[in-house]
Amino acid sequence: MKDKLLMRMRKITIFLLLLVLLMSGCAPTTQIVLLPDPDGKVGILEVSNVKGAQTLNHAWQATESASMDRTPSEPKILEEQNVRQVFREALAAEPIPPANFIIYFKTDRATLSTESLSVLAKVIEAIQVRKSTDIIVSGHTDAVGSGDYNRRLSLRRARAVTDILVARGIDRENIQITYHGKGNPLVPTPDGVPEPRNRRVDITVR
Amino acid sequence: MKIYLITICVILICYIGTATAEEPRAGFVKNVSGQAFIERNKVMVPAKVKDRLMANDILVTGQTGSMGLILQDNSVMSLGSNTRLVISKFMFEPADAKLSFVAQIKKGTVVYLTGLIAKLNHGGVRFETPAVVCGIRGTHFAIKVEDPGN
Repeated sequence: MKDKLLMRMRKITIFLLLLVLLMSGCAPTTQIVLLPDPDGKVGILEVSNVKGAQTLNHAWQATESASMDRTPSEPKILEEQNVRQVFREALAAEPIPPANFIIYFKTDRATLSTESLSVLAKVIEAIQVRKSTDIIVSGHTDAVGSGDYNRRLSLRRARAVTDILVARGIDRENIQITYHGKGNPLVPTPDGVPEPRNRRVDITVR
Repeated sequence: MKIYLITICVILICYIGTATAEEPRAGFVKNVSGQAFIERNKVMVPAKVKDRLMANDILVTGQTGSMGLILQDNSVMSLGSNTRLVISKFMFEPADAKLSFVAQIKKGTVVYLTGLIAKLNHGGVRFETPAVVCGIRGTHFAIKVEDPGN
């Protein structure tokens, strides 16, 4: 009789234990993994909640937490292939990061040098690799000359670059032209100062 | 009295100006596979390549879905299947030093590579999950939040 009661209590205890396990399994655990950058460098990540904080600063290092009132776990380095497996869908969908290019111009000119044309070949390659439909071409000048004149010059520069891209098969609809005149210089200078690094067209391929 | 009226007019003009200004763009959809949606003002529409993203959009993928996104600051984000992510805040106006991106991951898998916001404003990028807050100084990471329904 006593044995039966004991058995029953045991069963209940096991059931309760299972229930607790099940419930803790329900908590939406967060796992965070620091990945190496596309160029191989490794950044820094701070993971925190009300209970504490962890810093990740090694490739494939991870921390986890089940809820806001549990300290994030001690950082641990995971197997690269396991991380790649868990995040395979998101990693497969990850777009190539946008690329930036600069094309320089001679004073008061909107024509491209031979050197600039070779940069444009790289731009076209970047567009093709990304199947880019979002290309931004922005024209700039240095601080010599009037504001109005430089706005027009910066637009001519941006258009010159765009025309070559289009002539080489890039869809004009995918290119947005902006022009800044003397605005947004790469190297800030007082008005009237010539600065070759500011006579440029910036191109972003996304 | 006259000054009072002028002030009111100026305030009104400013107000109209902001009301008609185009909603700032947070980014765009770069690729989509399987079931992937954008939920905006409680309406869910299938996500398509080149779709614009805005602050307060919710990105949703189903059992077989995934999507890749490029944000205005040239950061790059992608979602695996069975994921729900809210773009809680997105401000990229370097001229006014308004630089922040806050996302909430409700469930699923997300990979993110930082862009200009994280570079120009340390502490400007934050990912929140039901269990932790991630402050991102840089640069490339993956987050998985278990589905609370499982």
